[in-house]
Amino acid sequence: MINRKKFDFLLLALMLLLIILGCVAIYTASSTLIGGQMSTQNYWWKQIIFSVLAIAAVVGVLYLPMPVFELFILPAFILNILALVAVLFTPAVNGAHRWFNLGGIHLQPSESAKLLSILVVARYISKEGLNEYKQMFYGFFIMLVPIALIMMEPDFGSTLLFWAALITMLVAADLPLFLVLLLISPVISVVASVHWLVILVWNLLLIYLLIRSRLSWVTITVASIVNVFISLIMPVFWVGLKDYQQNRILTFIDPTRDPLGAGYQIIQAKIAIGSGYLNGKGWLLGTQKNMNFLPEHHTDFIFSVIGEEFGFLGSSLILLVFALFFGRLIFGIGQLKVRERKVAASGIMAYLMFQSFINIGMNIGLVPATGIPLPFISYGGSNLLINSVSVAVVLKYLNERGFMK
Amino acid sequence: MIKATRIFSIVAALLLLLLLGSLFRLQVLRGQHYQRVAQSNFVRIRRIVATRGEIYDHKYRPIVQNVPSHNLFLISGKIRNLPALSNFLQRHFQISPEELEELVMKQRFKTYEEILLADNLDYKQVLALSEYLNYFPELVFRIGSTRDYLYPNHFTGYVGRINESEYELYKLEDYSINSYIGKTGLERYYEVLLRGKDGREIVQVDAQGRSLELFKGESLVKPQNGLSLVLSIDNDLQDFAMRAFPAGIKGALVVSDVKTGGILAYVSKPDYDPSLFMQRISPEIWESLNAASKPMLDRVIHASYPPGSVFKPVTAGLGLEGKQIDRYTLLSSCVGGMKVGNRFFKCWDHSGHGRTSVVDALKMSCDTFFYDLSLKLGLENFHNYVLESQLASPTGIDLPNERIGFFPDTAWYRKTFGKNVGIIGHKVNLAIGQGETLCSPIQMNAYFAALANGGLWIQPHLLMQTVGRGKLTRDEVQKVQKKRLPLTDTNLKIIQDGLWAVCNAPGGTARSVQVPGATTYGKTGSAENSMGKTTHAWFCGYIVTQKPEIAVTVFMENAGGGGAMAAPVARQIFDYYMGNIEDIRRPASIPAQFRTAEDDLEGLNGDAEGGDAHDASDTDTGDRHDQSQEI
Repeated sequence: MINRKKFDFLLLALMLLLIILGCVAIYTASSTLIGGQMSTQNYWWKQIIFSVLAIAAVVGVLYLPMPVFELFILPAFILNILALVAVLFTPAVNGAHRWFNLGGIHLQPSESAKLLSILVVARYISKEGLNEYKQMFYGFFIMLVPIALIMMEPDFGSTLLFWAALITMLVAADLPLFLVLLLISPVISVVASVHWLVILVWNLLLIYLLIRSRLSWVTITVASIVNVFISLIMPVFWVGLKDYQQNRILTFIDPTRDPLGAGYQIIQAKIAIGSGYLNGKGWLLGTQKNMNFLPEHHTDFIFSVIGEEFGFLGSSLILLVFALFFGRLIFGIGQLKVRERKVAASGIMAYLMFQSFINIGMNIGLVPATGIPLPFISYGGSNLLINSVSVAVVLKYLNERGFMK
Repeated sequence: MIKATRIFSIVAALLLLLLLGSLFRLQVLRGQHYQRVAQSNFVRIRRIVATRGEIYDHKYRPIVQNVPSHNLFLISGKIRNLPALSNFLQRHFQISPEELEELVMKQRFKTYEEILLADNLDYKQVLALSEYLNYFPELVFRIGSTRDYLYPNHFTGYVGRINESEYELYKLEDYSINSYIGKTGLERYYEVLLRGKDGREIVQVDAQGRSLELFKGESLVKPQNGLSLVLSIDNDLQDFAMRAFPAGIKGALVVSDVKTGGILAYVSKPDYDPSLFMQRISPEIWESLNAASKPMLDRVIHASYPPGSVFKPVTAGLGLEGKQIDRYTLLSSCVGGMKVGNRFFKCWDHSGHGRTSVVDALKMSCDTFFYDLSLKLGLENFHNYVLESQLASPTGIDLPNERIGFFPDTAWYRKTFGKNVGIIGHKVNLAIGQGETLCSPIQMNAYFAALANGGLWIQPHLLMQTVGRGKLTRDEVQKVQKKRLPLTDTNLKIIQDGLWAVCNAPGGTARSVQVPGATTYGKTGSAENSMGKTTHAWFCGYIVTQKPEIAVTVFMENAGGGGAMAAPVARQIFDYYMGNIEDIRRPASIPAQFRTAEDDLEGLNGDAEGGDAHDASDTDTGDRHDQSQEI
C-alpha cells in the first residue's frame, strides 16, 4: 500500500531516530555506577520491546485501507469517551484515577483520547458550509468532553495539550486570526489580572489588534469590556479560594515556593543539565544521575540526563533532530490538500510539539513541572505507542495525497 | 491571508530558539557555576523522623518508652571502595556482602536518602569504631531512637524495620525504606496513631562550608509526633498477675473492668521480651523464641481452646430462654453419667449427682444435666445462640489477628462427616463445651463480664485515650461496641445464682474462691483436649461489691482441674484487687507534660478551619512526593 513516490521516508526515519536515541538515553538513565560497580534496571530493554510494538502499530495503520480507517474513527472516539468515564471508578493510584490495570498492564485511556479527539474535531470543523462561529463552537464543545473527564481524574497537565491542539487546528482550518485571538483572549485576561498595569497594556494591545482586523466597533467594544471584566473579577475569585488552593496554584506558577516538592526536582534538573557544560560528563558518568538526586530520570526528567552526560552539544543535537522532525512534519502539512486531513495533521503536530516544548522547558526551568513526558524519548509504552501512531496517521495521509474525494 | 504552515513554522522556530537560548545560558554561560554546584551538591531532602508515640498504663505510668539509640547509616553515592566496605561491615556488624548488595543496588531507584544499615548499636562499639569511619566517608553514625518495652508482654507487640512487602504496600503513606513499622500487637493495630508524620528539611552540605543560596524562604516541614496511648492496663495489677500465674505452666490470664470493658491485666505465659526485637537477634535467642512452648504465641487472643465446663452457662441460658427448663426443672438423674442412644456419656464425677436443677448443676458442674438438656435443643438454635452470646465470633479487641473460635452447625457436620452424620452425640458434647467447641480466653472473659454487667456485653479493649500531640477519647478513635446478651433479667439472675453457688454454696466446685468485702461468682472448667492427657484448667468469674467490679479469666494448658489449679490463681487476683481497690480505682491526675499539650490542642481546635486547610495542603505535598520522588 505504500506509494514509493509519495511516502515520506524522511519523516519516518527521523521518528525512528528519535526512538533509538530514546532507548540509548533510557539505558544510561537507568544505570547506576556506585563504587566501580554498575547496575542497570531493565527499563531500556522494555522500551525496546515497546518500540517494536509501536513500529508494528505504525505498519498496521499504514496498511489499513483508508475507508476502513475513516469509518473507525468515530466509534473509537465514543468508546474512548466511555473508557474515560469508566476509569473514574477505578481505585485511585497516587490519588488519581487514570489507569486501568489489566493484569499488570496499565492502560491510560487519556492517551488514546488525545489522538482520537484531534481526528474527530478535525472531521467536524472541516465540514463544508460551516461558518467560522460554527467551527469554533463545534471544535470547542467536542474537545470539552474529554477535557472535562480528564480534569476529573484529575490530570491538569494533559488537558493543556488538548487546548493547544484545538487552537492549532482552528488556525489550520483557516479560521480568521482575529477569531483565534478572541478565543484565547479570556485566558490571557486571567493571567493578566496579576497587576493593573498588565491589564491595561493587554487590553490596549487587544483593542489595537482588533481594530487592525477591521472589526465592527460593536464587536470591539463588547470584546474589550468582557476582557476587562474578566481581569477585574479574578481577584474576587482569588480571595474566595481556600489557602491551600491558592498555594497549589502559586506553586504551579512558581515551583521554588515548594522547595521540598516540585521545586526540588526542577532545581536538581537544572544543576544536572547545567553541570554538563559544553561536552558533558560522558556516557554513563553523570554524577547527579548516579547519586540519584533526581527521581524519575528515565521518564519525565530524561532530558536532564542527556544534558548532564552529553553537554550542550548533545542536548543541541537532540533539539536539532526534533527541529528537523517538526520541520518535515510542517512541510508535510503544506502538501496535504484534503482539508480534514490537513487540520488533523496540524493538530497532531501541535500535540507533539507542545509536549516536547513543555517537557524540555520543564527540565531547564522554563515552565512549571507538569508531568508531561518527552515524546519518543521518555520511558513509557502507551505514550510511545500513541505518539508513533499519530505520526503514522500523518504518514498515511501523505501517502494518499492527491486522490481528491 | 497568511498560510497556516507559515504560522506553524514561525512558532516552531521561536520555540526552538527559546529552548536553545535557555540551554546555552544554562550550560555554556552558567555551566561552570553549575559544575561547581554539582561537585558540592549535597542539597538533598532529609526526612526528620517523627517521634513515635509512647504507651502508658491507666495511671500514665510507662509501658513502652522511646530511648536514644545509635544507628549506622550509609550514603551509597559516596562509596569509594566497595570490597573494603563490604569487608568492614561483615567483620563489625555481621552484614553480609549479599545484604549490602541488596540494600545498595536493589533500592537505588527507591531512595536517594541515607540507608539505615544497623540500628540500636552498643555504645561501646560505636566509640571503638568511630575512628575507622575516617576511612569510610560513606558511613556515618547518627543518634536515633528505639523502643524500650518495660516488661515482657503480648499486647504491646513490637516495631521493626519495614520489609520489602510492607514497603510496597505502604509506600504511598509516606514510609521510607528506613522506617519502622508496628509488626504485632498494639504497635501494629494503632500504627496510624503512634507513628505521626515525618517532617522534611533541605540539607545543604558543601565541602567548603559555603551556603548555597538555592532555596528561598521556608525549607522545613516540621515533623508531627505520634500520639501516645493510654491503656486501661494497670501496671501493678499486671505485675501481680504475671507473678501469680504459676511458673512453668502455659496459659493465659485476663482481668477486665466489668463496667467499661477495659482490660486491666493481660497475661500470656510463657512470655517474651519485645525489646529483644530492637537488636539484631542472635541465633540462640531466636531458637528460644521458637521453642516448643511457643513463647511468642499470644494465648489470650491468638489461640482458641475447648472451654469445657465454663461454657455451661451458655447452654443453661439457651435452655432457660427456650423454656425447655426453668429454675426448678429437674432433669435425668445423674448416675455418673447417662445413656444417650446406645452410648454412655460419663459425668466427671463417677459417683453421680442425682437429679439436679440448673443452679445445682452449675454449682457441681454436673455434666449429665447438660447432656439431657442438649437433647431438647436444636443445633441451629444452639449455634445462633452461641454467636449471639459473642462467643465463636471476634470480640473486636483492639489487637490484630484475633482468633475467632468455633462452634459448628448442622451444615458443618454434614460437610465434614457426610450426609448421614448423627448430630445428637455431637450435640451432647457441645453442651458441656467439648467436642468441636473452641473459644479464646478473651471471649470467655467478655462473656462473663457481660453476665456480671446485667447482660450488657462490652467489646473488650486496651486503649482508653490518646495523649501527646492530640487528645482523642476512646470513642473518637473507635467506638466501643455494646450488645445485649440474649438473656432476660430473670434468666440472667438464675445463672448468676448458679455462679454464686459455685464459689459460695456447699458442694460448689470453687469454694476456695472467696474474698472479704466482695461477693464472688465463677465457674470452673476442666476441658479434655487433643493436646495432652491432662485437662485444660479454666476458671472464669467476677466479683461484685456495690457494683460489679472485675472479671477474671484464668486458663492453663494441660494443667489439671479448674477448681484445683485455675481457681486459686483467680482468688489471688480478687484478693489483690480488693486489697488495693482504692489505689486502682483512684483516678490518676494527668501528668504535666500531657496537660500542656492538651491546652495547646484546645487552642488549635478553636481554629478548626485553618487546621483543616493545613492538613489538606500537607496531604497534597505528600502525594506529590509519592508520585515523583520516593523518599
